[in-house]
Amino acid sequence: MSRYSSKAGRPLHDVVAFRIVSGGEQESNTRNRLVVVGVAWLIATVLGWWAVTAYDWHPFGASREARITDEAFDLLMLMAVPIATFVLVVIGYSLLRDRDRGQDVDGPPIRTNRTFVVGWLAVTTILSIVVIITPGFSGLDELRAYPEPDLVIDVKGERWSWEYTYAESGVQTRGTLMVPIDTRIMFRISSTDVIHSFWIPAFRIKMDAVPGIITTTMVTAEKLGTFESADELRVQCAELCGVGHARMWTGVSVVTEAEFDAWLEASAG
Amino acid sequence: MNIVRGLIGGAVGYILGAALLMTIRVATGARAWEVESVSAGAWMFALIGWLLAVGVWRYWAREWFGLELVPYTTTGWRRYLDFDTDHKVIGIQYLVKFLTMFFMAGLFAMLMRYELMDNGEALLDSGRYNAIMSLHGTMMVFVAVAATVGAFGNFVVPIMIGADDMAFPRLNALSFWLIPPVLIALTVSFVSGGYDTGWTGYAPLSVESDVGGLFFNLAFFTLGLSSIIGALNIIVTVVTMRAKGMNWMRLPIFVWSIFVTSILSLIFTQFIALAMLMVVLDRTAGMVFFDPASGGDPLLYQHIFWFYSHPAVYIMILPAFGITLEIISHFSRKPLFGYKWAVGGLLGIMGMSMFVWAHHMFTSGMAEALRKPFLASTELISIPTGMIFLSAVGTLWLGKIRLELPMLFALAVLFNFLIGGITGVFLADVPVDIQLQDTYFVVAHLHYVVLGGGIFGLFAAIYYWFPKMTGRMMNDRLGKIHFWWMMVGFNVTFLPMFIVGLQGMNRRVADYTPDLVGTNRVISMAGFFLGTSFVVFLYNFIYSWIKGAKAPANPWGARTLEWQVPSPPPHENFEVPPIILADPYGYGEPDSDHADLGIGTLPKIQETVEA
Repeated sequence: MSRYSSKAGRPLHDVVAFRIVSGGEQESNTRNRLVVVGVAWLIATVLGWWAVTAYDWHPFGASREARITDEAFDLLMLMAVPIATFVLVVIGYSLLRDRDRGQDVDGPPIRTNRTFVVGWLAVTTILSIVVIITPGFSGLDELRAYPEPDLVIDVKGERWSWEYTYAESGVQTRGTLMVPIDTRIMFRISSTDVIHSFWIPAFRIKMDAVPGIITTTMVTAEKLGTFESADELRVQCAELCGVGHARMWTGVSVVTEAEFDAWLEASAG
Repeated sequence: MNIVRGLIGGAVGYILGAALLMTIRVATGARAWEVESVSAGAWMFALIGWLLAVGVWRYWAREWFGLELVPYTTTGWRRYLDFDTDHKVIGIQYLVKFLTMFFMAGLFAMLMRYELMDNGEALLDSGRYNAIMSLHGTMMVFVAVAATVGAFGNFVVPIMIGADDMAFPRLNALSFWLIPPVLIALTVSFVSGGYDTGWTGYAPLSVESDVGGLFFNLAFFTLGLSSIIGALNIIVTVVTMRAKGMNWMRLPIFVWSIFVTSILSLIFTQFIALAMLMVVLDRTAGMVFFDPASGGDPLLYQHIFWFYSHPAVYIMILPAFGITLEIISHFSRKPLFGYKWAVGGLLGIMGMSMFVWAHHMFTSGMAEALRKPFLASTELISIPTGMIFLSAVGTLWLGKIRLELPMLFALAVLFNFLIGGITGVFLADVPVDIQLQDTYFVVAHLHYVVLGGGIFGLFAAIYYWFPKMTGRMMNDRLGKIHFWWMMVGFNVTFLPMFIVGLQGMNRRVADYTPDLVGTNRVISMAGFFLGTSFVVFLYNFIYSWIKGAKAPANPWGARTLEWQVPSPPPHENFEVPPIILADPYGYGEPDSDHADLGIGTLPKIQETVEA
């Protein structure tokens, strides 16, 4: 039935051969393997870096927060490439070189390797700590850097529509969300029924609208645009809230401060 | 026969429970019939009625009252339909039950992908889409949580540790027979209109959902009961029933993974049961745990829910890690590299999984100060996860690799989980997560972990242990077709989901922006391709079980104990209790033997041990 002997753990000739090979020959063999793997890893990593930087991962971004978030993503991508290529290259090399081609033999009884284990643990630990510090903590600090708003907008989620109230002027709308460019804006978000989530893809901001509490998030728009020019400029509900969830969105328009003031005045009047 | 009896018992239990509750309701001045309040309470009576009638009374409970037990006389294939206490029968019961659930949930996925081929509502309106999506998620989570542990934790673990059965065989049967009511509750839920909350069932949406939502809560609650009992049984079995000489550092890594998984289940499943129960009480008794207008807190639900549901991710993936390492060692013909580090990785993941749950809630409105600690703990969990990869990579290196079917699936687990794990690092980064939370990026990530890792691991286990379970070989050619079909289908389906997520498609929607139609068509086509791959598997699975070539005791030449007994193993597994001499990974070590089976294979070693 099987192509292999069923007797467990039979040590066979090439294992014995492995053991009696002189130390020097074995070392140079190992060295050759490591050189090939190292070169392949280097090539794969460079190609990987080229690919992930050539590809445009991000949709239209129109805010300061979008820059921070996209930079964090790109940095993580650069860090991910060598890790992924290392694992794939080592496994791939083993799959190509270390196959049993019908010999029906056991491999060498290597149970551990101090250098490899210590190196692996050191690298994974350092990498984990690095990603915590940057882009993790550093990105969070950047997002929180300017906590004083120039403009406050109250957002109310309600199945299945959004209502925006401009705090100072009292202007209210259920239509397009108008925001001025280069202005620090704070959204105060609430819900009257179930949980919704206030998400503007082009701004890379998202915060749940939770009944009973007011949550906040801040943004500074840096590019002009409307939903018609880029559909990432929309407020989209991102937390399942029932049958109208997918359609619970409105457009967002980023306009100049002069245009914004004019709009506000017209709406208030 | 006993299933019919069980259904009648369940119905009687329901009626009795309903009568009792309605009496209480009338006595306290409420309207007698109110479907949710009455059903929620009566469900517990129905469960007891079902269990008693399905076999607990005949084979177990009678002796509590001094009555003679009914002798167990069922033989042949009918044992798989009866309240059987043999761990091998129960393992196969679990496998078949959860594979059925897997294929049903897979069909729901096909419906979803059909709907998503175009923007706008084509086949399903949003209401129906939400119901199908919720049921798909729920059933797949149930499969991922319980299939591997139930099927292989039961069938293989006792043999691997040299035991004749589980510690509590009757409790084991009971935990399996709690599963059919789960499926019944989900069916009732679906027939009564389903629920539109997703498997996460966030309050207050879930409190307000239709009656289908109640049966979702009851189904999850019941599955939790089964998980807790099953986990307890496995923990006691591994602690107390290991053969002589099977000390902790000789335990096969798969047993370790199931053991660690069971500890997580035992500790954390009660929290999901609690979350479900609180929603039920909110719905039926007006307890307003989650209603802010009356002092409740919607975020409370999410904390309790994720306090279970994040460890649950590891309940889904750790058995797959165990299978992967097990298979990689046997099919590389090399000792498991860094065994202690692999065990340490499993234990490290177990310990740290308790401190990461709120990374699901970075945008939930929880206190800002919690973001950094949960970001840090989540990124740190990649260290013990890395140890699993360390062990796998080190074992493959210089091995004599045999690319048999189980090995292909094990390697696929590594490949898929590599992508799933690395994208997890992205999602743990709060600035990135703020954008990607609740988008298809998360959908892709979770499918890479749960389907690419957990379910590929389940299939590795099926191909690996099928000869042992059935005594027959699976068709190799069909198996390889299935593997490549599934692997290609899986990756072409889920890799583009990362892209549509990045492009701004949120999850759990039947409708999306028009610019994403093209990519979604590709995903749907690949999804159908992936779906059809299981037709090959099913045909192979059923055909081989009936007509496959007879399997030898040890077709893979593996060293663990289950391969040293006949296929399928006899009742109580071993002729005499085996004595364990070393760990099972002594490949290439001339004088190493895992065990003395006491049947004349290793007389000399036995003498030395006894001397």
